[in-house]
Amino acid sequence: MDTLFQQIINGLSIGSVYALIAVGYSLVYSILLFSNFAHGGFLVIGGYICYYILVMAHANIWVASAGALAGAGVSAVLVERFAYRPIRERTHVTLYMLIASMGMSIVIENLFVVTVGGRYKALPEVIPMTPVSVFGFATTSAFDILSLVTAVVFLVALQLFLSKTKWGLAIRAASYNLRVTGLMGVNVNRLIAIVFFVAGMLAAVGGIFLSARYTLFPQLGGITTKAFVAAVIGGLGSLPGAVVGSLILGLAEMLTTGFLSSQFRDLIVFFLLIATLIVRPSGLFGRSVGEKV
Amino acid sequence: MTDTPMEEKRPLLSVRNLSVSYGAIQALKGASLDVYPGEIVAVIGANGAGKSTMMNAIMGDVKRGGGEISLDGKLLPARSFQVVSAGISLSPEGRKVFAPLTVMENLEIGAFPLKDKGEIKEQTRRVFNLFPRLEERRDQYAGTLSGGEQQMLAIGRALMARPRVLLLDEPSLGLAPIIITEIFKELAAINKTLGMTILIVEQNARKALLLSDRAYVLQTGVITIEGNSRDLLGDREIINAYLGGSEN
Repeated sequence: MDTLFQQIINGLSIGSVYALIAVGYSLVYSILLFSNFAHGGFLVIGGYICYYILVMAHANIWVASAGALAGAGVSAVLVERFAYRPIRERTHVTLYMLIASMGMSIVIENLFVVTVGGRYKALPEVIPMTPVSVFGFATTSAFDILSLVTAVVFLVALQLFLSKTKWGLAIRAASYNLRVTGLMGVNVNRLIAIVFFVAGMLAAVGGIFLSARYTLFPQLGGITTKAFVAAVIGGLGSLPGAVVGSLILGLAEMLTTGFLSSQFRDLIVFFLLIATLIVRPSGLFGRSVGEKV
Repeated sequence: MTDTPMEEKRPLLSVRNLSVSYGAIQALKGASLDVYPGEIVAVIGANGAGKSTMMNAIMGDVKRGGGEISLDGKLLPARSFQVVSAGISLSPEGRKVFAPLTVMENLEIGAFPLKDKGEIKEQTRRVFNLFPRLEERRDQYAGTLSGGEQQMLAIGRALMARPRVLLLDEPSLGLAPIIITEIFKELAAINKTLGMTILIVEQNARKALLLSDRAYVLQTGVITIEGNSRDLLGDREIINAYLGGSEN
């Protein structure tokens, strides 16, 4: 019983971090209809900015996080501006942007390999890891609770932004039809920049928690594969879908680790992906579209 | 709506020698037209004549090849959002309402260029006065509306930005004749009560000619005939080519 509760909390905790990444991924997909494989790069950029502000400026985690979020957000906007927009303005074929995003992913990863090296870096212990008892049922670490709470705060903030603001409304309209949104007097390029900034920021939050949980290295962005799987399970382009898919994935991973073996952890991820694609290709909340990548 | 010659005034919207190409295909080959303040002008023509291309080029939604477009003597900017801010709104072909958003949200997004909250409220009021059905359904998702209601919403949404010229692309498309009559009655009312200048492209030539003051015939990318709508309704060439026996 203890293990079950503990693994559920761990699952929700890691799932909520996936959700931060998957939501940004899905947000970009819903507007531009391509999977941005450079998304993992934003997460790594956020992680490194946080690391270096902590280590070199000896700043506290709040300053470091703010810097990481802003830096990753700006990087995402720049990637869109210089890698995707030129393609977007020439063709409606989204496959080219997909390929460009794979290229950008390789570029970002190797920029870090060349400049800071490929070694694993441990974030200074800025997020408390002390054990915490949850209602006397189970013990978990403060870190898990913190990452869960942080993820929920950011997801709620995103939801408020989308539902209560003028640009949020424009983004919801654009996820239905970008072209017509432009005809309504919305500056589409600015809208896309805002979407990328938000996606980059959310990825950075995920990046900070992932590099604190594991370690920081240029290939850490590869974990986006799991967020991608989560987004597909939930239905690509659907934000509630991305959150639900991520929580399902986190729970599945942690329950597998707790009751079977941690070696099956990645197996269950891809099993869920394949099962989704066979049983319900549009995902839990997705609209049906032909292409899924 | 008046019989005084419009040509003496300065056109509000002026399209000069507009050409547009899609790759090797030239959809518009130097088309020109003028719309004077307070007028309803119709562009009629067959499928593929370039009617929608003309609208989309004015809106900056497709790239203009050559020629120039001006609003009130000023050259029109290149990008859609700037065109809307300059004072031209489009109710697009096929309505294209935002199905997962409510009627109210559709109108709000139409008012995107407006900054003043009071102004938005006032404009919403006007649209609801024109289309009371939209007010009844304000919290309903646009996707659940009937075709006619969606068309009303598309027109209302275009009016939200307080345009100086309203463009309508095939407002009769896919609607039952009785609904088309209702929509066209509303368009006449919008022209009269709001003094709205309207440029409409339609395949339903009879309806368009009955509604408009003047009309242009677009044929494979060029304007071939222009004149007063009343005259064109009696023109043998027009009757044979565009009105042949059709009652709607």
